[in-house]
Amino acid sequence: MTTASKLNRLTPYMFLAPAVLLLAVALLYPIGYMVYASFLDWRPSQYISEAEFVGFRNYVNLWNDEAFLESFGVTLKFAAVVVTLEMLLGVGLALLLDRNLRGLAALRTIFILPMMIAPIVVGLMWRYMYHPTVGIFNRTLKSWGLEPIPWLSDGTWSFIAVVIADVWQWTPFIFILSLAALQSLPQSALEAAELDGATGWQKIWHIKLPLMMPVLIVALLLRLIDAFKVLEVVLVMTNGGPGLSTEILSLRIFRTAQEFQELGVAAAMSNYLLILLMLLTTIMFVYNKAVENRAARLRAAAEEA
Amino acid sequence: MLKSLNATFVATTMFVATATTTIALADGHAKGPYDAYKGQTVTAIFPAHPHYNAVMKVLPEFTKETGIKVEVDQLQYLKLREKSTLELTKRQGDYDLMSYVVFSKADYVFADQLENLARFFMNPKLSDPKYDADDLIDGYVQNIGVAGGKKGYLPGPTGSLFGIPFGSETSVLAYRKDIFEKHGIEVPKTYDALLKVACQIPEVEKGMGGMASRAASGHQASHAFLLHLAPLGGRVFDDEWNPIINNEAGVKAANALKTIVDCGPEGATTFGPAEAAASFSQGTSAMFMDSIAFAAGFEDPSKSKVAGKVGYALHPEGVRRGSQTGGFGVGIPRNAKNKEAAFLLMQWLTSKKGDLMVAMQGGNPSRFSTYENAELNAKYPYSATFGEALKFADPDWRPIIPTWGKINADIGTTMSKVLTEGLDPQEALDGVAERAKKIMDEAGYYTWK
Repeated sequence: MTTASKLNRLTPYMFLAPAVLLLAVALLYPIGYMVYASFLDWRPSQYISEAEFVGFRNYVNLWNDEAFLESFGVTLKFAAVVVTLEMLLGVGLALLLDRNLRGLAALRTIFILPMMIAPIVVGLMWRYMYHPTVGIFNRTLKSWGLEPIPWLSDGTWSFIAVVIADVWQWTPFIFILSLAALQSLPQSALEAAELDGATGWQKIWHIKLPLMMPVLIVALLLRLIDAFKVLEVVLVMTNGGPGLSTEILSLRIFRTAQEFQELGVAAAMSNYLLILLMLLTTIMFVYNKAVENRAARLRAAAEEA
Repeated sequence: MLKSLNATFVATTMFVATATTTIALADGHAKGPYDAYKGQTVTAIFPAHPHYNAVMKVLPEFTKETGIKVEVDQLQYLKLREKSTLELTKRQGDYDLMSYVVFSKADYVFADQLENLARFFMNPKLSDPKYDADDLIDGYVQNIGVAGGKKGYLPGPTGSLFGIPFGSETSVLAYRKDIFEKHGIEVPKTYDALLKVACQIPEVEKGMGGMASRAASGHQASHAFLLHLAPLGGRVFDDEWNPIINNEAGVKAANALKTIVDCGPEGATTFGPAEAAASFSQGTSAMFMDSIAFAAGFEDPSKSKVAGKVGYALHPEGVRRGSQTGGFGVGIPRNAKNKEAAFLLMQWLTSKKGDLMVAMQGGNPSRFSTYENAELNAKYPYSATFGEALKFADPDWRPIIPTWGKINADIGTTMSKVLTEGLDPQEALDGVAERAKKIMDEAGYYTWK
């Protein structure tokens, strides 16, 4: 190979190099900093260079920290519940509204309104609606002669309250993605199914859902990542309480850094969360590959038909 | 080029200014204590808090009198803490005078970030002989200003002064005079009476809670519990840092809080200070025991439905008298630029004159003489009771140590479980004590055992 052709081959990489380097530094430096901090006993009143190196102590201690474990459990429960509800409701609504109705565009806009509201505002809004005496829910219950519900002052109810607020805000996200996926399905497949006499359910189950699956998995993944990191709504609505019933992990991390001033421990917690999310993402990507292949086969079959 | 010219110009100006000042001083022309600092700017960081809102109204007077300019960053309390903590780690900070909340004393002093004030009070050119430090409220000075003595955070032969209380608070009992009169209820003087009245009110006055208290999970529930712990004879630690929060007094305090919340207004378990105060000012509870800082709001008819109907009494007595101490103090960061001018401002603001001026604008006095002032009592009739309450202000009602944030949060979430999940107080406090012991051990508090 001549030098010129060698150089030719390298040219694109050389052009890319600065951007790649910049991206690597911008992405990796903060993460590297966090990983490094997690090995330190570091208070915010110290320079990082003054902090004591403690190896894996922060990581190990967390497994004996009841509050951390409880909060980890709350986070898993929260993410599982909200994402399941949002997927069911979002996809269900999309299937229901996937038709050429008049005014659908306006309806769609209304549906995605909650997503556009800042989470802190959503938190405040729901907090006032859940207010024990002047909130809309308890006032309504009372006017019907029913017992008021201790929305935010009981562990179980406050968990439910936070779930409702999150589902309210993020179901539209799943809805809008599902609707887009539905509307880009190959019509030929559906028509073929109709000719074969498939019922509505059969169409949903055997054609629509499998074809939508790649999009749904990405939506699920995005929601799952977000649900694990939710902070503002819970911070404003319950501040983790009562007890630790709604103390999700990001709130615990925030408090560990802010209130307890243990930056190293907070970094270790963040890394646990990061590892968990990376694992989840990898699993989903592998699964997605399989699902995509299946969807592609279905599509191809539909096009042949 | 332009930059270096600029720098030369600034340097020259500074040199000329310094030379002039030096000559002036040498000539003996500098008569007033402020002359040498005229034209300097003190940059301060203050919280958004009623006391400091009052301070802002008084600052122009200081500039008029001294020629020292003041620039203030006023931030919400949590933001203030975050910003100050970062500022203090810089080589050269932006602030010359810093307001800090009482827990921060432990962090800042331990990290050697606040000036020891002795060197300013020793300087005859700076220290005002008429300052009268004896008049400063002792409990506040001990709580907010002094560190290095007993237990590290209290005064004692080895302690020294790092800040001056400014915007400090204690607790009083606010009650509805009209409701108490209507039902012939006496103002509670003891804890037994307090708890009885707290549960009597909802029976005699439909829809009204007995006492509004903080109770939300975390810091708020912890604060509410500690408020009762000290007067009922308890402490979080003994003198050797062994947790004794789970002794008889601790359980009593937890039960007292539970009774108050159970007989309180609806939704009381989610209350922070703002919600509790709102419940009282909107007439849904008959009593409120918390910081004196809320009184001004209760008496403001535009915000409160109970203005003019509120009586104020001392924090009831348990086995001893002990009202809380908290709020803010001011100190000079070690990395400040204009430390001497900052000291002059601090001294002026906390002088008899400054303290009264701030109090007249609605601030919290730091001096006994201010509370005794006739003019102030005419404007704010509750001032005399507050002054009386301060005699019992307990500087040790909660520990001020670097590990406190974590222990405080644990007390608060555990108390919240007692209030909402029916967790047994003894069992709850045993858990807190065990975890606190571990935290203290890790932090090295048992090294000398």
